[in-house]
Parts: sequence; structure tokens; C-alpha cells
Amino acid sequence: MSFDSPFHVTIDFNTSHMIFPTIIAVILGILFVSILITRGSTILATVSNGNWWPAGIDHKRFFGTIALTVIYFMAMPAVGDIFPNTGLGFYLCSIPYLFALSTLYLHERSRRTLMIAGANALIAPSLVWYILSELFNISLP
Amino acid sequence: MELLSILTPMFFALVAAGTVIGIIFGAIPGMTATMAVAVCLPLTYSLGLENGLALLLGLYVGGISGGLVPAILLNIPGTPSSITTTLDGYPMTQNGEGERALKIGITSSLVGGLISLAALYLFAPALADFAIKFSYIEKFLIIFFALTVMAALSNSLLVGIFSGFLGIFISLIGAYDISRGGNGELRLVPEFLEYYLESGFSLLPVLIGLFGLATILIEAEEGMKEGKGLSGVKIGGKPFKISVFKGQIVNLIRSSSIGTFVGILPGVGGSAASILAYSQEKNFSKTPEKFGKGAPAGVIASESANNGLTGGALVPLLSLGIPGDSTTAILIGAFTLQGIQVGPLFIGNNPVTWDAMIIAMLAANIIMFLVMVFAIRHLAKVVTVPKNILFPIILMMCVVGAYTINYGVMFDVWTLLIFGLFGYLAHKIRLEIAPFIIGFILGPSAEIYFVKSLESFGTFSIFFTKSWIAVLLWILIALSIAFSISVARKKKRMTD
Amino acid sequence: MTGLFKSIAAAAGFAAMVATPVLASAADLPSNVRLVIGSKSTGGDTYQNSAIVAEALAKKLDINVKVDAVGAGEAFKALQRDSRGTTIMIFHDQSYLANLYGVRGYDDIFENYVVGPTVAINPGNAYLVAKNSPMQSMEDVFAAAAAGQRVRVAIQAGGVSEIGFSAMKNAAKVMHPGSEANIVPVNTGSQADKNQLMFDGQADVINGSVQANEQFTQLANDDQKAMRFIWLTAREETIEQANPEGMGDTTRDELLAFTTPNVSVTFDGSKDFTFDKEFFFLFNKDMDAEQIATIDNALKEIYAEGEIQKTQKASFFIPNYKPQAEAAAYLKAKRDQYRQVIDAIATN
Repeated sequence: MSFDSPFHVTIDFNTSHMIFPTIIAVILGILFVSILITRGSTILATVSNGNWWPAGIDHKRFFGTIALTVIYFMAMPAVGDIFPNTGLGFYLCSIPYLFALSTLYLHERSRRTLMIAGANALIAPSLVWYILSELFNISLP
Repeated sequence: MELLSILTPMFFALVAAGTVIGIIFGAIPGMTATMAVAVCLPLTYSLGLENGLALLLGLYVGGISGGLVPAILLNIPGTPSSITTTLDGYPMTQNGEGERALKIGITSSLVGGLISLAALYLFAPALADFAIKFSYIEKFLIIFFALTVMAALSNSLLVGIFSGFLGIFISLIGAYDISRGGNGELRLVPEFLEYYLESGFSLLPVLIGLFGLATILIEAEEGMKEGKGLSGVKIGGKPFKISVFKGQIVNLIRSSSIGTFVGILPGVGGSAASILAYSQEKNFSKTPEKFGKGAPAGVIASESANNGLTGGALVPLLSLGIPGDSTTAILIGAFTLQGIQVGPLFIGNNPVTWDAMIIAMLAANIIMFLVMVFAIRHLAKVVTVPKNILFPIILMMCVVGAYTINYGVMFDVWTLLIFGLFGYLAHKIRLEIAPFIIGFILGPSAEIYFVKSLESFGTFSIFFTKSWIAVLLWILIALSIAFSISVARKKKRMTD
Repeated sequence: MTGLFKSIAAAAGFAAMVATPVLASAADLPSNVRLVIGSKSTGGDTYQNSAIVAEALAKKLDINVKVDAVGAGEAFKALQRDSRGTTIMIFHDQSYLANLYGVRGYDDIFENYVVGPTVAINPGNAYLVAKNSPMQSMEDVFAAAAAGQRVRVAIQAGGVSEIGFSAMKNAAKVMHPGSEANIVPVNTGSQADKNQLMFDGQADVINGSVQANEQFTQLANDDQKAMRFIWLTAREETIEQANPEGMGDTTRDELLAFTTPNVSVTFDGSKDFTFDKEFFFLFNKDMDAEQIATIDNALKEIYAEGEIQKTQKASFFIPNYKPQAEAAAYLKAKRDQYRQVIDAIATN
């Protein structure tokens, strides 16, 4: 982008992909600095005397959710690759994922609640897989 | 009468089946009306033109309408155009008014659908001729206008606008899309991610990550306690009465018209419709401070606008042969398969098909309303399902939605996780999600229309001098900004 | 309790039943094949054509073939990852044209994949002017450029939409060296954007298609939206194979008035430039040759039966089956020809 006069611009198609990102980056920078100027002291105060994350949170459930989800996402394509284009990667991985998450979130793990979690972990993925993959022929992992 | 021979019980049964399947697709986070139409398109080969269209139009109306269910009950927009429904719908659910919000939503949907249908039937060719007066410049100004809503949605003006621009910035990651007129070059992508980020982050996974996964992470952090957050919701609350619409007639008509009109403009995108309608309702409201805390007017604006789209998007399809949104793009396929051309002569050449389509749309809107009225009582109970059962299912459905939105791309599933974590982090450092997502949705359109305007005309002054439409849009933009600033000032004075 | 176990057992049995993708022999295709396409649209010509072929193939080979509109980038990635024959691809000339135009993300398909067989042609690629434009024909366009007038052509960069534009520039250069500089691109996106540029007076010529633009050519002269075909890039013999009704109110004979030799965009001064948008298969380079042969033979039989041609023609596709090896050689020669055009105009 080159300026011929205050209002006139010539745009070179080959470099036009950078024009808008540059403008937005400049505006973002200005906004960021203004936030620092107007709120700097409040932000500093919060940072310096607050409890540092991840103190005071439910470690087991929070990090458990993330860890299980990462494993689930990695396992799906791997399992799916053994049974290509059948959606079974999704199906076979969702059952343990659902069961593990349900159990993780439970506060009292009685026979009954575990049974419900287990039944849910079996039924929900089966339904979804059957309807989407088999009836509607939609690609699943 | 040829038309009567088409309107068989089969025709209406297909409309009904389409509407119900559409609602289900729309109600699942990440599954969209577009996908519903795409997966059912092959079924129409054997159905014949009118029956095929009956099914597809039912899917279209149902799919757009179903999006309000998870938006209101779970704070997850089922489709991008229900973003603004979450803003007041979910707070209503938290106040125990989930059922009421749903009923307000579907009634508004019905009105929006019917108004846009009337516009389609009566004025399609004239509207199409008006729509082609909107060049890159006017379209940029419409997007700009929609972006001003970022200010209206912010709790803190400065942080809100920053979040919005951050959304725009992140939406630009990836290649400058050739299919929209870009040059295909990458920008803002670190080298080691080039393989994955060629086409940037997809909208839907970002959306369900920010709204779905992030919410679950926040709940997980707090230990998934029952009786708090989602499951703390009382059932019952205020019952739905039609009188809630008293004083909302202007809102209904304005929002439906905005929805219809945005639908008519190809490429502007459906989400802009509900965003614009919502911000206008807030700007005109006497009690703007109630918005975002469970104002029925917000749900009405959002839902009547996004169903207003349905009729609007068919205008350019049937009078220019150009789809108004991604769903109608697939409808073109249905026509070509049957050897029917869509273009400026379509309505004149195919009067019977045209009438049949209007009837199918009408039937779909009514069936949608009836089905939802009966289903709502049961749907609203979803919030009573224990968290340890409900949340894993939501996560699984988010994964399905993310994976299927682009017909099977695993990176979209990872996008879900990335933006789930980002949403969680944003919550911690008080970034504002609503402006962020609006920036993210509108960013690519803003870019293409802005750069292309300058490329064509070579001067900034063109944005002001192109047409009377441009001048009008500038006035609206100025009003919208002035309004947001005055509200922010008032708010500040009150807190000081 | 027992009910629960029963359903578990049933589910397990069911899962085992569908999870048996056992290969009988190397030449057999897997029972579930994913056909990825280079387009993200499920309403476009690539999808339609691929769906027709996939259905015929599935029936012939008694397997499931699922078409996924993942788009070029993801389709190539998916194809590269999978050499077992469970992922195959259909795309068109864009796949090598984008490489010729240097679009990022497009490799040389002839080096990295097994190319062919071809299955169909979309003969509709066209160039149009506004009906009231002073330029009424391709000759007028070249004359205007030779007279020093700027001719703005709305295209989408880097592929099928641009190749006809490059050919125009090349022809201008051959006929009136230097005049090619007056034919300039207006880079844009969808058909809607191209039409809009013409309505706005920002483009003199637009790239379009017979399918999408024919009705605009039937509008009255005073309609702002009225257009006129000036060139169809397809070969004469391609259009000749279309159904005689042509498209809409334009018969096949009327369409032929816009192809070579009636409209001439010269390639080198003696021969006319033509471009047919052809759809063909792409396979992973390491996929079993016998599997590819299975698909190729199945297609041969399908085309010999003659049913698929009717379906294709009804959707304005021209059937064009060429066996794999023949198709690969043919497409490579086609690519080399277009390379000449692009190189010839790249020097200025």
C-alpha cells in the first residue's frame, strides 16, 4: 500500500494480505497502551497481591478434564486409523472418555452413580455414532 | 391446478420431517442447518424437485431455529447466528426462566420467519435489484456498523473494544482467502504451524470452544458442585405470557427486517443479522442496562433476526442465482440436480415451483413453532441433568460438531481445545468474550471489503462519497458509537 | 441389570460386526472409502460430479464411498497421509494451474500423486460483458486493448478462473505486442462478487459460467443486470457433445457461436487457445497399483454401460472417461501447454 496523496492509495495485490492485519495490529497496540495507562495501577495491584493461579482451584477436576481431553483427542485419530472411515475411532474412544469424565466429576461414587455413569457412557456414544455415522453417513474420526 | 397436485400429504410430511431433523441438528452445538441440508441433499435425487425442496426447506428453517435451544439453556450457541441469543437467553435460564426464554425465542423466530417470507414472496425481484446497489464499500460499512456493537456489548468500553479487535486480529490468521478474492498468502502464522493454519481457525470450533469447553473448564475449576451455576437453576420462574410481546412490535418488525435485509446481501453472513438487530434494539431501548442480564427484548431481537434470514437469503438465490448464505449455496445443488436453473428468470419460468417453495417455507415455520412448543417443556429440563452426566455429553457433542463442520478435519477438534483454554484464560484476565467473538466473526469480511474497496477505487474518500446508502450508513455508525459512549459514561458515573 | 448387560453385549457385537475391514486381496478396495474433493462447497460442480461418480463406483464395487468436501489444502493432506486406498481424491485443473501460478500450498501433482483417470468435463467456463458495453465481442476487447484502452477483467486469482484471462493477455501479445498490458485483472472471489463488479462498473469483462450466467444473458437490454457471452473457453468438440437443448434458453448451437473457431483467442497466431475444466482422480503415490487398476476398470465398465453419461449430461457435464495412464499423459501435456501461456505473459 502506498500513499499517492493524503486520500489516494495504490494497492499491490501481491502484498495486499498484510494491509488489514497491520492496521488492526496498530489499533490493538494503541488500545493495549491505553489500557495500561488507565488501568495500569489496578492491574499491578491485582497481580502483586492476588493468589497465584492455580492456587485455590479444584486441581483434580480442572487438570483432569484437560488431560483426559488431550488423551481423547490423540486417541481418536489413532484408533480411527485402525478402522478407517467407519467412525469407530470416535465411538470406541468416547465410551471410556465419557465414563472417566463422569466418574471424575462425581462427588459420591456409589454403586448407583457409577452404574448411571457407565450406562450413559455406553448409550450416548452409541446413539450418536449410529445416527450420524450410519444413518446420515457423516464422517467421524 | 398444477400447484394442488404438488401439495400432497407426502409434500407436507417431508416438510415436517425436514423441520424436525433440522431442529435436532440446530440444537446440537456445532451441527448447523448447512450440514443438515448437505447430508440430506442426496436423498432428494429420488424425491423430485418439489418434494426434495420441501424436505430441504424444512431442514433449513428447522436448523436455523434449533440453534436457540443450547444458546438459551446451556450458553452454547447452536449456530453462529444464535450468539446474541445467549446474551440474554442464558441469564434468563439462570433466573429460572429457561422455558419462558425458549417460548419467547420461538415465537420471535416464527414472526421473523413469516415477515421475511412475506418479503420474499412479494418483493423478491425488487429487493434483489436493491441489493445489487451494495458494492464492496456499502458492505464494508454494514460490517463496520455491526462491529460498533462491540462497544455496546462491553462491560468496560476500553477492554471490550480491545477484546473485539483481538478477535478480528485472530480471525485474520492463515491465508488471505483466494476464494473470497485474496491472494492466498499466509500471514500471522508461525512457521511450525503453517501446516495446520493454512485456512486459519474455523469459526464453529472457536465458538463452541469459547462457549462450551471454556464454561466446563470454569465449572471444573470450581469442583463441579451441583446446585451451582447451571444446575443451580430453579425450574419454573416466571411463566410465559404472550403479553411479553406488548411494546415489542417495533422490535419484532425492525429485527425481522434487519434479518431479512442482511440475508439478501450475499457474503455479509447470517451472524451479522442478529448482531445488528440486537445492538439496534439495545440502542433504541429505554432500559439498555437490562440487556445482558436476561432482557426478553434481547432474545426477541436476536431470534426474529436470525429467522428473518431464511426468507432473505432466498431472495438473491431465486432472483440472481446467487446464494445469500452457506445453506442456500447447497440448495443450488438441489436445483441443478433436477435440471432447474436458478437466476433472474427463475420465478417467471417456474411459477409452480416458486409457489410450492413459499408454501413449504410457510408450513416449515408453522411446524417448527408447533413442534418446539410441545418439545420445550421437556427440553427445558436438560438443566436438571446432573453435571457429571451432562457435561461429558456436551463435550462429546462439541467434538462431533467441530470434526464434522468441515467434513472431517482433525485440527478443528484441536481448535476447540485451544479456544476452550483461551476462553478460560480470557475469563481469568477479564477479557470480554462477546466482543471478541463478534470481532472474530466479522473480521474476514471487514478485511476483504475494506481492502477491495481501496483496490478498486484507490481512495479513502470513496467510503463517504460512493452513494447515499454509504452516507446513511455513516450516520447510523456515528449514532451507534455516540450512543455506546454515552451509555458507558452513564455507567461510569453510576459506579463512581 | 440383565437388560443392561444384554445391551452392552449387543453393542459390542454390533461394533465387532461393522469393524471388519478385512482385505480379501491386495486388488480389493477397502470396504469404506473416503473420497475427498478439492472444494469446500457441497453445492458446487466438483461435489456434484464427484457424488455422481462415487455413487456409481460404490454400486459397481459394492463398497461405501463417502464424498467429503474438505477443500484443496485438507484434501491433499489427507491423501498424502493415506496410502492404503482408504482415501482417494477428485479434483480438476485447479490442482496443477494453481501450482503453475505459484499459489502457496500447491505442489506438482504429477510428481507427488498418481493422476487420472478423468471422468467428466464442465464445459461452462465463460467470459461475459455487460449487454450495453461498448465491447460486444472478444474482437472488440482486443481492439480496445490495442487502442490503448484499459480492459478490466474480474477473475479469481490463481487457477481455473485466471487461465482464460492469461490466454487473453497472451493473445493480445501475439496480435498486438504491448497491448497485453492494457488487459488488467480485477482479483475477486465468488461469482456474486464478479457479477457485482460488473453491475458497479468496476469490471468490463467478467469470468463466469454458462450455468450461473445464462439467465442474465436473457434479460432485456435496459436491465442493469443484463450480460452477454463473449467467449466460452471449451473446445468446440466438447460443447458439441452437450444435449442439443443446451442450457436454459440458449441452445447448444447458440453456445457454439462463442467457442473456437467462431470466437478466436489465439494461442500462438495459428492455433486457438481452449480450456476444458476436467475432473479427474488423484491417488496417493504409494497406493497399490492394483487397487488403482480396480477403480480404473470399474470406471471403464461403468462408462461402457452408458448410464452415468445420461446423469452427467443432465447436469451439464460432458462425460470424459480416459483410463489412468492415458489421462495422466494427457493432463501433463495440457499442463505444459498452459505453462507456455503463463510464462509468455509473465515476462512483462
